[in-house]
Amino acid sequence: MIRFLLKGILRDKSRSLLPIIVVSLGVALTVFYSGFLEGVMGDIIRQNARFETGHVKVITKAYGKNKDQLPIDLALLDVNSLVQSLENQFSDMDWVKRIRFGGLIDVPDENGETKGQRPATGLALELFSEQSKEAERLDIQNALVSGSIPDESGEALVSYEFADKMDVQIGDEITYFGSTMYGSMALTNFTVSGTIRFGIAAMDQGALIVDISDAQKMLDMQDGSTEILGFLSSGVYDNEVATNVMENFNAKYADSSDEFASVMVRLRDQNNLAGMLDYVDLASGLFIGIFVLAMSVVLWNTGLIAGLRRYKEFGIRLALGEAKGEIYRSMIYEAVLIGVIGSVFGTAIGLGLTYYMQTVGLDIGQFLDNAGVMMPITMRAKITPSLFYIGFIPGLLAMVFGNMLAGFGIYKRETATLFKELEV
Amino acid sequence: MDSEHIIQLEHVTKKFPVGDGRHFTALKDINLTFDKAEFAGLVGPSGSGKTTLLNIIGSLDSPTEGKAMVLGKNIAELSHKESAHLRNIHIGFIFQVYNLLPVYTVFENVEFALLLQNIGESERKKAAMEALEWVGLQDLADKKPDKISGGEGQRVAIARAIVKRPSIMLADEPTANLDAKNAHQIMKILKGLNKELDTTFLFSTHDEKVMQYLDRTISLRDGKVEKDKTTNESNKLS
Repeated sequence: MIRFLLKGILRDKSRSLLPIIVVSLGVALTVFYSGFLEGVMGDIIRQNARFETGHVKVITKAYGKNKDQLPIDLALLDVNSLVQSLENQFSDMDWVKRIRFGGLIDVPDENGETKGQRPATGLALELFSEQSKEAERLDIQNALVSGSIPDESGEALVSYEFADKMDVQIGDEITYFGSTMYGSMALTNFTVSGTIRFGIAAMDQGALIVDISDAQKMLDMQDGSTEILGFLSSGVYDNEVATNVMENFNAKYADSSDEFASVMVRLRDQNNLAGMLDYVDLASGLFIGIFVLAMSVVLWNTGLIAGLRRYKEFGIRLALGEAKGEIYRSMIYEAVLIGVIGSVFGTAIGLGLTYYMQTVGLDIGQFLDNAGVMMPITMRAKITPSLFYIGFIPGLLAMVFGNMLAGFGIYKRETATLFKELEV
Repeated sequence: MDSEHIIQLEHVTKKFPVGDGRHFTALKDINLTFDKAEFAGLVGPSGSGKTTLLNIIGSLDSPTEGKAMVLGKNIAELSHKESAHLRNIHIGFIFQVYNLLPVYTVFENVEFALLLQNIGESERKKAAMEALEWVGLQDLADKKPDKISGGEGQRVAIARAIVKRPSIMLADEPTANLDAKNAHQIMKILKGLNKELDTTFLFSTHDEKVMQYLDRTISLRDGKVEKDKTTNESNKLS
């Protein structure tokens, strides 16, 4: 019977073409929208994790309350033993120390006089250690515009934009002005070993990247760091696992009133990501819901028109001995077949659009000139396994639902008038 | 009920509401029986009750009063599903208009009747081809209904009705849209099938060409049986 129905669908274009077009369009948009959201949100999450939040982050309670001010005086101390303890307790995770600091970069001219100054956001991480995956995690090699990654003390990377505006060349000396952990003045010269562009507005505006040992010396914070980031071994943020790790860690310090006690926070609790993640879930669900509803209404009407056009056919089938319920079921089977065909086409179109947007992307750099949000300059979609089936949900649901509504008319048909109806 | 009669109508009356609590009586106290392999026709002017009677015998409608027994089943007591099952297995219909499904081929239109009985593919194909051979259309099996003539279309409709080898065939003005040559050809085919398969044929007609072939003619007027005449063999075409 299914094969028989399929033949009818394929041969009768007026029965199948419009529904297939409607389903294909809806599914294509759903797939593309989901792929775009996945891509953009995935990038945002990954970049936040890589550069700022980790999958979990350990800080002091006091630092957490004032973190926007980058208060290095509230940093963690005795971090080597803390990292060791974290590695023992959560051995399948990667734990790294980082220092985030703010300050001023002074660029001298050939006479040693100030040529220009700009505020900078400093990031110190383990660049010299051979075991460290930090350079790889931040993909510094690919982000290098010129020069190389620092491999000895006193070298630094500066953002390409900064170097371009201040006319800083590789090998030039720059001076960092700031304050140490204990409030005294910090003044350190660095040699620019390379320039970088991460494609993230917040990082490309004025970043200074140095090895953590240089930063500890410069900021007078031996065995200290502002934060310890933890990364799950899969490399992908898993809220459930991160929550377990956080709860286990924080249980130890739950009763502590010490403002310098360590506290762990998850990725979703930082940088307003919780709201963003919830919004994306909601928007995604809402989008699919609206599509199911809108397509159902369109397909309901299409089904009603098809029902009128096939009035005679259903009459013949009733006369031949097909029960109303069987005809209704066959209409649903047809809807499933059309839904599947439309969903296959729609998914292919949606994946094509997603692939295009994954490859080319959408440049929003001009809107992020002063953005502090860790967001990629180029928004890219991403093809994920879920995109291969997600469109089938609205495609099939709308088609079946629309036809279920339209098909109720068959139950109102009076068999007693069939002879008269079929005479015409 | 006499087991010889495959259709037995006892005091069958059918009334249709026409509004204001009033009724139109289409059939009045009909008492008829039909036996296996009969070739009978209901004749009479429009509104005489021919189609209403076919509806009741074909389990498309039920009597308001009286009892209509078809193949031992009381039509009034059948559910919609049971009525559909009775038509599906035991009753074939031939309409004035051929009513073929336009998107399917001649062969598929005939096969469809067997598909509803969940018959296996190989048996289905064999039976469908055999039915097309009965009506002489095996060469048109792959044609679509819009590519065949009116007479051929009616022969396909006959093949579709007969393919399931029903006990009863109900034909409502089967030659109304055909010229004389095709009408005779159709009637000869039906007569041949009646003899070969022992199927009971019941026509509704006012076409003289059909009447010539009937073994029994039941005249209806104003919902009543006016005359029930068995045709003399010498006057009958075969």
